[in-house]
Amino acid sequence: MSAVPEYVLRLLPGVQFTLILTFGGFGIGAVLAVPVAAARRSRRRVLRLLAISYVETLRGVPPIAWLFLLYFGLAQVDIRLSSLTAGVLGLGLIAGAYLSEIYRAGLRAVPHGQLDAARAVGLGTARIYRHVIGPQAIVTIVPPAAAFLIGLLKDSAIASLIGVPEVTGLSLRFTQREFEGLAIFTAAGIVYFALSVPLATFARWAGTRLTARLVFG
Amino acid sequence: MTRAGAELGVRTAAAGTGVGTSPGAARGEPPLICTAGLGVRFGDLDAVVDVDLDVHTGEVVAVIGPSGGGKSTFLRCLNLLQLPTAGRLQLDGEVIVDADAGRFPVGRRLTGLRREIGMVFQSFNLFPHLTALDNVVLAQVHVLKRTTEEARERGREILARVGLESKAESRPAHCSGGQQQRIAIARALALDPRLMLFDEPTSALDPELGVEVLAVMRELVSDGMTTVVVTHEMAFAAEVADRIVFMSDGRILESGPPERVLREPEHERTRRFLQAVLQR
Repeated sequence: MSAVPEYVLRLLPGVQFTLILTFGGFGIGAVLAVPVAAARRSRRRVLRLLAISYVETLRGVPPIAWLFLLYFGLAQVDIRLSSLTAGVLGLGLIAGAYLSEIYRAGLRAVPHGQLDAARAVGLGTARIYRHVIGPQAIVTIVPPAAAFLIGLLKDSAIASLIGVPEVTGLSLRFTQREFEGLAIFTAAGIVYFALSVPLATFARWAGTRLTARLVFG
Repeated sequence: MTRAGAELGVRTAAAGTGVGTSPGAARGEPPLICTAGLGVRFGDLDAVVDVDLDVHTGEVVAVIGPSGGGKSTFLRCLNLLQLPTAGRLQLDGEVIVDADAGRFPVGRRLTGLRREIGMVFQSFNLFPHLTALDNVVLAQVHVLKRTTEEARERGREILARVGLESKAESRPAHCSGGQQQRIAIARALALDPRLMLFDEPTSALDPELGVEVLAVMRELVSDGMTTVVVTHEMAFAAEVADRIVFMSDGRILESGPPERVLREPEHERTRRFLQAVLQR
């Protein structure tokens, strides 16, 4: 176990990939979730059905299967993605499905009277979302979205299975060569923990700050 | 105009001789807002049925009646928060909704119409993330395109008018119910509406706080604001309204000057309702 600090250092090059996968996937998902959530709330049945099928398809298949499909599956039809691209894209598509549901819950938590009041003063839909519904929904959205982000940080480990040299991927490689599984994966655990604690702290801080701003101003 | 509408028109004229006169009607101008055969159907439920109502500039109409009788739904039709499923709605003589022909305003036309009609809700519906002043400023800037300075100045004036200049920088959560409702009135007034709609503005308030809201409304009315108010405050309705409309089961059963509708109602349903209210 004395090798743990050394392995922590040797795993550091994997951190950048873990972070790219996490924040890249989250970023794509956060943007993608906007039209999906909007479609889900649409008055048009077709759009609602499309949004529901997207969400259920993405959530109903294991993430690892999506990554394999993107990396190995697309290669078969001559669309060759790098393992990192496939990883970010796959996590992004999955994040879009989950985040759209988080957005939807946040939007639904805003009382209907707010929409009435905003319409009654003549605001159009875009401004209603920008100035009235959005700022209130975000308070409900941030805590579960932050929890999802922390989950994604850990789930990004599956990208190791398509060859991304992120923290878990490096750990696997070291283990195969050096047979120090206990020390290596303890070190990996320390690295993930060190990454997720600041995220969780930031999320808590953002959550209380937003709530305070809304309620107590 | 339909037969029932003509009948209401006659009653309006009668109202004019008794209580407060409606200047617009006296000059023979078209009503500011007019509904003909207006109906709202939710699935199998007829919430509003065949409602004909004219409101002239400067007139104050109080809508009373049992809960679930369609009063609020009807009021929401007047500023298009609820689109009717039957009948027509005219503003200033111009048809803006013809539900039978499937014609509804959309986009800018819709938002433009809404901003001309102020609405005050039972549950205030202030924007909780904004200060009182910003509640009043928001639509002035984004709908009327006033500059922020202009809007803030006007906002302060209007807050002063409802007696809440000192609360300008407070969030709604830090204001009493009565204060919140007065801010909501200020928010609507800031857009210089031609008509104010009040949906049970005091029902969510304890009586003491309701008084301050009624005082603000009384002042508005005496300044000549055209007003339609759905209310259970019979004394207030009797005092400020030129006309009282009794609605039950989605229909207008009776309409006329307060002293007639409240003291000598023609309709059995109105009598029962008033008895129940007065015995409380």
